[in-house]
Amino acid sequence: MRMLPLRLAAASSVVIITLPFSLSAQHEGHDMASMSRDSTHASAHVMAQAISLVTHADPSTGGVSRTQFAVTQMVVMARGSALRNHVEVNAALNGEGLTMPNGELNTGAYGEGFVDRRHPHTYVHELMLTGRGSTGPASYSVTAGRGFASFGTDDPMMRPLVKYPINHHLSQVLERGTLVGAARLGLVIVEGSTFGGDEPTSPSSLPRAARLGDSWATRVTFLPTAVSEFQVSYARIASPEEPTGHGLDQRKQSVSVRSASSDGGRYVLAEWARTVERDHDRDVDVFGYESALAEGSLRAGPVAVALRLEQTDRPEEERLADPSRTPRPASDLSINGITRWRVVTVQMAAASVTRGVFSGFPFVEVARLTAAPRDARSLLTPQRLYGTTNFWMATAGVRLRAGAAHSRMGRYGVALPNPH
Amino acid sequence: MRFSPGTVAPVVMAFAAACASSDFVTPRDTTSVIVSSNPVTMTVLGQGNFHPLRTTGEIFVRGTTAYTTTWGNTAAQATVFYIWDVSANVPTLIDSVKVDKATTLGDVAVSDDGSLLVVASEYTPGSILVYSLADPRKPVLVSRFTSNQTIFGVHTAEIGRVNGTLYAFLGVDPGSGVGSQLTIVDLGTPANPRQVYSTQIGSPYVHDTFVRDGILYLGLWNAGVAIWDIGGGALGGTPAAPKEIGRVQTVNGHVHNIWWLKDPVTRITRYAFIGEESPGSLGVSSSGDIHVVDVSTMSAPKEVAFYTVAGAGTHNFSVDEPNGILYAAYYNGGIRALDVRGDLGTCTAAQRSTPLNGTVTFCDLRKMGREVAIGLKDQGSGVYVWGVQYLGGMVYASDMPNGIWKLRAVTRP
Repeated sequence: MRMLPLRLAAASSVVIITLPFSLSAQHEGHDMASMSRDSTHASAHVMAQAISLVTHADPSTGGVSRTQFAVTQMVVMARGSALRNHVEVNAALNGEGLTMPNGELNTGAYGEGFVDRRHPHTYVHELMLTGRGSTGPASYSVTAGRGFASFGTDDPMMRPLVKYPINHHLSQVLERGTLVGAARLGLVIVEGSTFGGDEPTSPSSLPRAARLGDSWATRVTFLPTAVSEFQVSYARIASPEEPTGHGLDQRKQSVSVRSASSDGGRYVLAEWARTVERDHDRDVDVFGYESALAEGSLRAGPVAVALRLEQTDRPEEERLADPSRTPRPASDLSINGITRWRVVTVQMAAASVTRGVFSGFPFVEVARLTAAPRDARSLLTPQRLYGTTNFWMATAGVRLRAGAAHSRMGRYGVALPNPH
Repeated sequence: MRFSPGTVAPVVMAFAAACASSDFVTPRDTTSVIVSSNPVTMTVLGQGNFHPLRTTGEIFVRGTTAYTTTWGNTAAQATVFYIWDVSANVPTLIDSVKVDKATTLGDVAVSDDGSLLVVASEYTPGSILVYSLADPRKPVLVSRFTSNQTIFGVHTAEIGRVNGTLYAFLGVDPGSGVGSQLTIVDLGTPANPRQVYSTQIGSPYVHDTFVRDGILYLGLWNAGVAIWDIGGGALGGTPAAPKEIGRVQTVNGHVHNIWWLKDPVTRITRYAFIGEESPGSLGVSSSGDIHVVDVSTMSAPKEVAFYTVAGAGTHNFSVDEPNGILYAAYYNGGIRALDVRGDLGTCTAAQRSTPLNGTVTFCDLRKMGREVAIGLKDQGSGVYVWGVQYLGGMVYASDMPNGIWKLRAVTRP
């Protein structure tokens, strides 16, 4: 990887912006490496990404096949550090609210009022300020702002396959007003976070001040080798889907193992996640959803191949006139059944086409899905919703990027296990 | 009508009747009740001759005609409500009426004079549709009312007359950044419904209402039950300017629906029955109890009793008031018939229980032997009963997956 250091004069420090020119896969190395090499200076890293794609889903909502052209994952990400890395900033601005306000066609996906379409993320996807320090062999950090709670696995946007897995709302907790504390000692990282449980209601929504601190999460990560990690996490989230706090609470568990080579050429992740919805008024558990997922990627010469296997439970909700939308907030606390989805997704990506600071990664992704009701008595079953239990989804497009990818997303400060 | 011995009883009852809806405390009645340790099975007379592919919602029956709504329709299905002839044991489909710009028709009601049918529509644009029932089996659309305050969907539409004028009381869904709304619409001119009041209310929902004698009950979910004077109380309220009389928080909140009982035999008006709609998976499971609230002092109502069914939760009610029997739709629990005559707030220690997650004991209607009958529990394919209506010795039920049923009502021995 060739790096082009670009020095900009600043009032009291030197800012280094690194723009790698030649990238060939999703995991081409982490920008934090450049920060640690240059601890005496302030540093910054900026990347921009957008994926232009076409998706054909057969069938999709309403039991009909649908095709969509979209620009997804349009994001500008920045990381910076100052004061000898004692202070860091993470920012991610997301333009999906502009490029795909009606969501991205993605069979099985759900959440935030969308179904079979992935919802657009908030414009301010992440804006976190971190302070870090150390004492003896231990290091620690405190992070505050809007971003990820210390729960689960990396955001799918930073993973090889373009289409999000169905378990996004079971395996990550994001776009929350949050305060994260992390400590690292040797091979172990411990994190705790408190945050507002309310999930976004639109791309422009901000965390409600009244909800801040009503939820918490904790994650323990073990790093057996320089390229692998094992995490266990737990979260209690107050009323994520009902903004005033009167909805069902969630208790979430996640376990995962992850390994990625330093050059990003080999990557594997296996995770299990479970969310139990709890009626806090009656103090009883009412619904439970599980997910198991394994994915990996391998780069061989000019071609990268990725594979994902997933089984995830999805709550069914009443549809609006647009069958890819559900009422938000819902009009009561009930669901209309649980569908168990099984998905096999294969992606092939070519080597990058580079022009200037811009790179393009053509890809093709094919998914085969099956769906079955967890209980045949459910009112909304796949047969009723789609007229079938078998689905295909094919996607082709180009991932456009300027700047080195941030290979991790969802951890801050000393909770970032390693630079890849 | 049977009274236990006591020479003062008729005088007391007459006084209680005169004070109905007031803050006077009605005395305990002494009317005998059914005490059952083994509820009987209600006799099923027939299931509709047409099994709708659409999911069934609410039911309303007048005379020999029933109307059932449909829920969660897709664009390909279109949204309709059905008209049934229920004169025979097996309800017979007569017709269906298509409603545009709606996926769910959650509520249906006929005016007290039988002239109008009102249907609620969800979601955006939420509305009520007003039909003429000059021919009850051929409803003719007179008007469709929507406003900025109903835009996210009309979840329920109860209708009732206040000082001679017909009103609709709409429970409106919350929307993005907008809370649930109670909207009151004057139907005095059916062709031109006129909104007279609207307010954001409920935590976070207002689900259902009950209007009687100028008193409006509101199911405000976790904000409890509110009792408003809209023309029948002493506070000078009107439909356009309601005045709150009182409010009560029932155990576990989730207040969904209300029935304020006026027993024409005992003339007791002391009790309101509150349906708690707790979480369920439609078609599979449900939860939520019936809470009995003593409203004899409307400014200070209090919960005195409850009824719970393991593994099932309640939804809408209908009461055979002359016989003192409440029928509750109980989703996967079928229909439950409760004897609600007499004193429900006095019981022995052995008849008291603590509701789930509660801290106080209340009279338990089951332990008091008030559960007198169960209907539609074992019908082969699972039932999920949304609505129920008593009429003329019969009980009609709307069953989300199975359509309409007709059962024989419980008779008081």
